[in-house]
Amino acid sequence: MSNILAIAQKELKGYFAGPIAYISIGFWALMYGWFFNALLQFFVRQSMQMNQFGMQGPQAMNVNQQLIRPLIQNVTVLILFVMPMVTMRTYSEEKRSGTIELLLTSPLTDFQIIVGKFIGAMALYLVMLAVTLIHIGVLFIYGNPEWKPIVTAYIGLILMGGCFISVGLFISSLTKNQIIAGMVTFGTFLMLWVITWIGSFSGPTIDKLTQYVSIIDHLDDFGKGVLDTTHIIYYLSFITFGLFLTAKAVDSERWRG
Amino acid sequence: MIEVQHLSKRYGRVTAVDDISFKVERGEILGFLGPNGAGKTTTMRVLTGYIPATEGKAIVAGFDIFEQPIEAKRRTGYLPETPPLYPDTSVIDYLGFVARIKGVPAGERRQRIRQVMERTRIDDVGGRLCGKLSKGYRQRVGLAQAILHNPDVLILDEPTAGLDPKQIIETRQLIKELAGSHTIILSTHILPEVSQTCQRVVIINKGKVVAVDTPDNLTARLRGSETMYVQVDANGADASSALGRVPGVTRVAEAERKDHCVSYEVDSERGRDVRRDLARTIVNSGWGLLELRPMRMSLEDIFLSLTTDETPAPATDGDAPAEAAPAESAES
Repeated sequence: MSNILAIAQKELKGYFAGPIAYISIGFWALMYGWFFNALLQFFVRQSMQMNQFGMQGPQAMNVNQQLIRPLIQNVTVLILFVMPMVTMRTYSEEKRSGTIELLLTSPLTDFQIIVGKFIGAMALYLVMLAVTLIHIGVLFIYGNPEWKPIVTAYIGLILMGGCFISVGLFISSLTKNQIIAGMVTFGTFLMLWVITWIGSFSGPTIDKLTQYVSIIDHLDDFGKGVLDTTHIIYYLSFITFGLFLTAKAVDSERWRG
Repeated sequence: MIEVQHLSKRYGRVTAVDDISFKVERGEILGFLGPNGAGKTTTMRVLTGYIPATEGKAIVAGFDIFEQPIEAKRRTGYLPETPPLYPDTSVIDYLGFVARIKGVPAGERRQRIRQVMERTRIDDVGGRLCGKLSKGYRQRVGLAQAILHNPDVLILDEPTAGLDPKQIIETRQLIKELAGSHTIILSTHILPEVSQTCQRVVIINKGKVVAVDTPDNLTARLRGSETMYVQVDANGADASSALGRVPGVTRVAEAERKDHCVSYEVDSERGRDVRRDLARTIVNSGWGLLELRPMRMSLEDIFLSLTTDETPAPATDGDAPAEAAPAESAES
């Protein structure tokens, strides 16, 4: 356990020692703020219109349903862009600079190294998510949203981010070149997102299948405030599978030299 | 301490290491010598558990590196060809990280890091970023990293590469100091380094071990005949025929001529010391004997004769490099 933490801390320090953490958090904060602003203005205008028509009571606008849920959905696209920046160097950089020799000749198991790297990237992702709590906080000051669906939405975001990170780790472990790792990761994420697009006109079976595979579709229920074990198990097994593939890639790299 | 048995490593169809076996005793320094691409780095990587072998067995510090890699790695320090440094990390932070993953107990880390930094003479760059260090410092931080957890076995891949002459001497000194309590394998292609630091040498070429012996024995073993270097002031006379008549002498060749002084290389029968007779002959002829010393085959010559296909004749033509080399390797 202490070895895993040592690796995770090193990873996190590594992000902040270079420009990566600042650029990705900065880009994230800027774009998130923009999305929030746009959706908020849209929401305000809509609720003013509603007031003009004199609609009150149960039909009044719901902050959770009409602002936070679409916000979370839009944010997943942002994660798609930011995450490759976080994961692309995890293994590639160590391979290029030769520091992988230090890790692999130290008394560490592959499992400890991989999980340590995963936790390190997760920690940076959590910092990014923490930034967004400011915006949600603003809603709590001026409005009256329900907190429970927000918590489930964030649980969903954390799990979904974990999936992206595990895929990113795997792709990074395949190459020495950060740029290649970044591009392939981005392409894969994009594919995992748009895979449902063919579903709607390819028959019900394929539609269901693509919806199941799509990482982002599983987030929808979390945004509604539903904690469904199907989705939790989907995400957790996805993460495990990604880390397993990484372990296999590192091991096979060893045999191939 | 280290035992390698029939070790082979193949990458696809390329054989990098081909059935090598050797042993290193506790406290010994073993030199790993070979031309580039001979399989030195591959062997070291197998011994450190970085890559698995295709065939064979390696026992490091009492543990099979394939069966119990964690235990073996705990007792091994490794300096790869390029020191494995994180460029954005300061030297102190870097060593702190290494101490953690190498399993140095938390309470001892700080003290251990300080000791090692003093020992490798990097205590003045503790706060600098690894990426901003000069090659010499990087190499020494790499060495500090390798000895940080006080391992039984040290595996050093070209530890003096990129250092300036003063640093090379310091590093060799440090390696010799470490030898008592650590077992060391070091690879190099600098030959004098081997004769100066190592007790035993493994010469490896094209993945195969060509020779294992002490530097002195290797030198002696490859000497076909005894050769003397004789410098005579014969006042212009030709001394070669007189020298050739000394009993036991098989061949006399003129090596160099400078004004009155002529240098000869005199071969004699093996095991027969002709120095007294040579000296007497020269002095009795009324010539001046300026120099008389045995010539040994240098490690360079041995190395070349073992690693190249056409065996070069032991240097008797008296060309400059052959003349200069013996002084360095033979007298040390």
